[in-house]
Amino acid sequence: MTFSKIFNASLIYSTFRTATPIIYAALCAAITQQADILNIGTEGIMLFGAFMAVAVSYLTGSWALGVLVAMLGGLCIAMVMAVSHLKFRSDICAIGMGVNMFAVAITKFLLNAWLKQSGTFADPKIIAIPKVHIKAFEKMGFLNDTFNDWTITEWFVILLVIILWFVFYKTVWGLRIRAVGRMAQAAQTAGINVNSMKYQAIAISGLVGGLAGAHLSLGYSAMFVENMTNARGFMGVAAMYFGGAHPIFTALGCLFFGFTDSIGARLQAYGVPSQLVLLMPYVATILVLAISMATKKAMENKRKSSLITAA
Amino acid sequence: MKKKVLAMFLAAGMAASLVACGGSSSTGNETKAEAKTEEKTESKAEEKSGDSGDKSKIRVCVAYSGNLGDKSYNDSCNEGSQKAVADFGIELKNLEGTTPDEWKANLLSACEDGYDLVICSSSNFQEYLQEYAPEYPDVKFAIIDTTVDAANVQSISFAQNQGSFLAGAAAAMFTEKTDIDGVNGDAIIGWVGGMDIPVLHDFYVGYEQGAKYINPDIQILQAFAGTWNDPLKGKELTLAQYEQGADIVMNVASGTGSGILEAATDAGKYAIGVDLNQDNDQPGHVLTSMVKRVDTACYLTIKSVVEGTFQGGSTSYLTVADGGVSLTDFAVIKEALGDKFPQDIVDKVAELEKKIVSGEIVVENYEGFGPSAK
Repeated sequence: MTFSKIFNASLIYSTFRTATPIIYAALCAAITQQADILNIGTEGIMLFGAFMAVAVSYLTGSWALGVLVAMLGGLCIAMVMAVSHLKFRSDICAIGMGVNMFAVAITKFLLNAWLKQSGTFADPKIIAIPKVHIKAFEKMGFLNDTFNDWTITEWFVILLVIILWFVFYKTVWGLRIRAVGRMAQAAQTAGINVNSMKYQAIAISGLVGGLAGAHLSLGYSAMFVENMTNARGFMGVAAMYFGGAHPIFTALGCLFFGFTDSIGARLQAYGVPSQLVLLMPYVATILVLAISMATKKAMENKRKSSLITAA
Repeated sequence: MKKKVLAMFLAAGMAASLVACGGSSSTGNETKAEAKTEEKTESKAEEKSGDSGDKSKIRVCVAYSGNLGDKSYNDSCNEGSQKAVADFGIELKNLEGTTPDEWKANLLSACEDGYDLVICSSSNFQEYLQEYAPEYPDVKFAIIDTTVDAANVQSISFAQNQGSFLAGAAAAMFTEKTDIDGVNGDAIIGWVGGMDIPVLHDFYVGYEQGAKYINPDIQILQAFAGTWNDPLKGKELTLAQYEQGADIVMNVASGTGSGILEAATDAGKYAIGVDLNQDNDQPGHVLTSMVKRVDTACYLTIKSVVEGTFQGGSTSYLTVADGGVSLTDFAVIKEALGDKFPQDIVDKVAELEKKIVSGEIVVENYEGFGPSAK
């Protein structure tokens, strides 16, 4: 009866739609993680990017410019993190949390002082990222329901996952960054400029983080709300751990989050208590992390034992 | 790894110290306030000025659950208090908070700061006010949307069930108008709330009864976002309900609600606004708004303190008959839909409103609400 209303074609898009901001956030965290830097500041970078995207789109009427400035804004914040961590040796977690708090405060301040709004900023002059409408799909029921009218950034995230996978595992630069992450000393001995690699990783992470925010405020919606990231950045960091900073596994982890969220939204409508439904993503997170850690451990043990027998 | 754990603790410590800073700054305010009252009494003693000077010094603090700028409940409350500032020249302080610990801390600092009147804007404060009101017998308190039984607390509740009854009836009629773009043939309507708290169930009970009054077989989808300030979550829940066959969804979610209304525009469907007149937030996609005059409640409470008629321990209950709750006049959607606008909904709503006022229709309450609730 209601089963078909919960599991239908639109669930696929809904899963992807909910997951996309988290995928961007997770990629932002994954890039630095490859260089062994835990980017706790993802949330803050994202929030700042979301604000810049809306502000610029509102003022100039160009979504593309909004996205660009959001990415540059993300880059700026990331560079603050990079300089304080790499040059002045501050702890990355502390500076990351600092960035998160700073982003909440600065966006609130700029919203009040610059745009003269408080709380919510929605205006017809905010130009959203356009949706890709494929005419050929219109007549095809399933394809139309599932793949039509995605925003550009939703398509782009798939591309970005593949690009990052290729860069990390198929290019020299990727090998170097992973070497820096695995064992910085060895990398340095091999003649790799460790500091420069780390700077590059954080910079790219900032660009992606800004894009994550731009998607949130201009792609997923067309507004800015104080603290609108609502821990999506942290969920991204969790998904990054789940995927071991591998772009494809990380994205799968995000899709799993998105899936539990979307199922939850559908189940609630049929009288399942909201408290239980709202708990689901978190229970899923704990389960997934527990399982992934357990299998990782088992694999490591296996590897160790094979080493012993080989010796 | 050890280093990371340590870092996490450091970060947590930093957050805690920030909170501590917040606390100390409020005590700073407190001393300033004391100094001010001293000054006041001194000047009074010297000049022996009349009551008029005293009135202008009344200090009011409003504590919010959520942020201002939600274009809904909190903004409505703020409108009322701003009007009081303009009319009576009171001193006003707004304290916003999004988490329970912030609400508690805000209320406590308001109590300590020696305000004449502290308004708790929502039922989220009930538990804390119950605890603190007896401890600060000299402070006057008001709480909206729920009842706190204490000698210095004035409770103001609304018959949101009656307003929602009208909204539910309007939605149930609207979902049958298949000639309007985006309305499907299924008799399914939706309802998305913010946090799962008793007040929202009072909304829902009325909404359900109103919808079933029009069509006993109607199906109502219900969801809670679990937050007052995540519009994206609200949007996702609303889109899910549209995908499940609903064509009109009622928003009862403060800041989360802006996402609900946006979803209506995105999906080419319809929504019902809440608290303030939200018809113009997404023009053409908001059928009507269930306006709850939180602003009036706030204004009248401040006025009662200014005029010295404040009555602690009392409960007022604002209904459709008092204009405490009502639907908007459908003007925006009428213009957007043109000839297709279903005038019969407006007529029916007016008729139902009369029946509620006359007592012909008795709208049910959620447990613990209603005119006799204590």
